[in-house]
Amino acid sequence: MKRTMWYAALPGVLMIAAALAFAPAGGAQSGAAPAAKGSSAIPRMPDGKPDFTGIYQWPSYMPGDQRGKGSASIFDRKYFAPLKPGGEAFLEPRTGDPRHDEPRDFCMPAGLIAGMLSANAMQFFQTKNYLTIVHEFQRMSRIIPLDGRPFRKDIEPTYYGDSVGHWEGDTLVIVSTNFKRWVLDDYFYTDPKEYRMHSDALTTTERLQWKDKDTISYVMTIDDPKIFTKPWSQEFQINPKPEWDKVGLFEYVCEENNRCPGGKCAGN
Amino acid sequence: MQRGIIRSILLALTLSASWAPLLAHHSFAAEYDDTKPIKVTGVITKVEWQNPHIWFYVDVKGDDGKVTNYAFSGGAPGQLMRRGVMKSSLIIGSTITVDGFKAKDGSTNGFGAKVTFPDGRMVFTSNQEDQNKK
Repeated sequence: MKRTMWYAALPGVLMIAAALAFAPAGGAQSGAAPAAKGSSAIPRMPDGKPDFTGIYQWPSYMPGDQRGKGSASIFDRKYFAPLKPGGEAFLEPRTGDPRHDEPRDFCMPAGLIAGMLSANAMQFFQTKNYLTIVHEFQRMSRIIPLDGRPFRKDIEPTYYGDSVGHWEGDTLVIVSTNFKRWVLDDYFYTDPKEYRMHSDALTTTERLQWKDKDTISYVMTIDDPKIFTKPWSQEFQINPKPEWDKVGLFEYVCEENNRCPGGKCAGN
Repeated sequence: MQRGIIRSILLALTLSASWAPLLAHHSFAAEYDDTKPIKVTGVITKVEWQNPHIWFYVDVKGDDGKVTNYAFSGGAPGQLMRRGVMKSSLIIGSTITVDGFKAKDGSTNGFGAKVTFPDGRMVFTSNQEDQNKK
């Protein structure tokens, strides 16, 4: 009798086991949130890789880190590596020329780092071979190959650099290089006398890892050998906002009605 | 109704603590003068629900009876709409009181962080989330 009952229950046990094994493949934003706790609960692609597809709040501070006065996240200086001699020149004082001091006031781009840390929604789309990041701020679009290709050659440096991604276990590692010298972060909202720029020797490494189904660890490593003696990193966290998917991202065309660039207002 | 007003006041208190550095795509200092606060009451004449910041225009009658049109900037439309602040929050022809700061160029432009209606309702056209940049 007992043996009969055990066999009768087997299909149900197998179904539950199968459900636990495959539930994470549904994705964090699909509404089919997996019930299981722990690493098995993170969303995964059909091939088993973690799936970062979804809509998110911008990278936010970890507890205990310095907050800037602006809404975008900034780096806490306690994480900086020691500066090289002359490296402090990247902390440039304002010159009084608004095009130099605050190029975004003229709708110039944020660049990769400040763009990612901007206080707007962002949406990730992942396939086997690409991660595409669309950030509402300036509608920054990053198409990051995950297929093992090398960096492009003979491309002039850009604001957003050249990015390729690869997997280290369950961590997606995105390495970017070939940047123009540009804004490091939004520190100038905190101290209007200073801002931080990176050099054209910058390489960034972003590491994304699901900690649980509600939290992605986002570690940004700054390797800028013209400024710092060694690479340094700061961890942020990225949280899914599935409710934002109801309306999605909004348009952000800076040039549409930028009425007061440099403090000189049009009209009125 | 009373609950709504209380909720508005609580929201106002929550948000007012965070509108010091103010603006979104650029720093406050780039365009506005924090030594020149402004508070005016007038009638909304135009609303530009556009990027990088919304602008709303208000006819303000001076003590001498002369009407001056002020222009006030707020947050980015996307950030406001994600918080539930829609263009319909600012109805043309409505009388409002605007708390903000004047533009650095001395014009009748300014930054308008808080809009108060005669019945006490408040709409924040910017908060900390808007202190981003362009």
